[in-house]
Amino acid sequence: MSLVLHDYELDSDSYKVRLLLSALGLPYAKVAVNVHPGHEQRSPAYLRLNPLGSLPILVDGETTLRDSGAILCYLARLHDKEGQWLPADPVRFGEVMMWLFFAGADLAPATLARLHHMLEVPADAEAVGAASRRAFRIMDDHMTKRELEGFAWFVGDQATLADIALFPAIALSRDFGIDHDEYPALRRWMRRVRTIPGFITMPGIPDYH
Amino acid sequence: MTAPEDLESRGTAVMGFAAGWYALALGNGLEPGTSAGTQLFDKELVVWRDASGASHVWEDRCPHRGMRLSFGFVRGNHIACLYHGWQYDEAGQCRHIPAHPTLEVPETIKVPTYASVEAAGMIWVRWDGEAAGQPPEDIAAVPVRSLYLDRAPETVAQLLAAGRAGSFETLSPGTFATALEGADLFLALQPYGAERTALHIARTGGDLPLKDIAVWAEELRASLEALPAAGLAPAARQPGAAA
Repeated sequence: MSLVLHDYELDSDSYKVRLLLSALGLPYAKVAVNVHPGHEQRSPAYLRLNPLGSLPILVDGETTLRDSGAILCYLARLHDKEGQWLPADPVRFGEVMMWLFFAGADLAPATLARLHHMLEVPADAEAVGAASRRAFRIMDDHMTKRELEGFAWFVGDQATLADIALFPAIALSRDFGIDHDEYPALRRWMRRVRTIPGFITMPGIPDYH
Repeated sequence: MTAPEDLESRGTAVMGFAAGWYALALGNGLEPGTSAGTQLFDKELVVWRDASGASHVWEDRCPHRGMRLSFGFVRGNHIACLYHGWQYDEAGQCRHIPAHPTLEVPETIKVPTYASVEAAGMIWVRWDGEAAGQPPEDIAAVPVRSLYLDRAPETVAQLLAAGRAGSFETLSPGTFATALEGADLFLALQPYGAERTALHIARTGGDLPLKDIAVWAEELRASLEALPAAGLAPAARQPGAAA
């Protein structure tokens, strides 16, 4: 089967999938969707692929998946034979899923805040900014305690889907006016994420040279 | 253009804190070859550690286009700006401009630097020049965590001094001590901005697990952000924030 990712370069959810595909070393075809200014993801053709009108969308033969969290799990289950990214152990699995749902729900305001700042998507800037800071504080508290117990990643002792799903919102937070000053544990963790083999950047996440 | 000294004096006067040495970060939280942005009295600073392990505190602004240097990266003992790669040496002197690689960089292209020391497991900056007095004592301390609060620095200091969030001994206007389940804790207050405060926390005695102290710190933050400020004594104005 050949993988096809319907993708938008500036979309942080699409970036999560590109990041995992790169870490897994999987070849895939990328279809660039004209989100801005074309709103192509809400065209009739795209609504047939995903009635929510959102990206990314992964097509793998007869299978069509939406939601970056679901796509990450699918790719990990199918192609990560060692179970690093989505551990089989029930406790580790539960913890990874907890952070995946956090990324989809509690970090949604951060995604919206960025789209509001960059592409003028309507939002209550103050409310989404405050919700973003609450979520980042929860992440920093978690990684602070993890580091004090000798761990480097959100779950377990190696990088998982949790790290991939949580990375873009904080790494891109300067796009919507939230600096990293208050999140020292996340600053160190973000440097670790950059060392994952196959790590790639996206616009807004600088490539150190 | 206002001189930096004037800006600093105004900042300390407004927030009720004196000239002194202020902790900006935990020492072990800043790995060699990395940088972190922060603020003191609303002024943006970059704290960075070069490859040889020495830490530096500078104005967080590249003289070229005003980009925050903390967004950039450390290469060896130079820090480089993210925008155009201008590189500065340990003294803040620009040494390399990638667009003009053969240029002898003029001495005038320099980032303002601040005196800083590492003591008690923390990185401290001298604020307001000579009036700051002696640097803090380098007591033995195990760094725990930095806590960031959405609360005015003088309010946090007053709540701690008044015992509203637990029993704290005020060592200086910016430093506090407390005991927690057999451990001795040392807290250094960073007046981050008008409505924002950092508390850098280290364990100076006992063997309570650091994670337990971190959990306690989260609860301290919740208390300090929620407590009413009514009825507190006026801000401390004694000189010297050193331990």
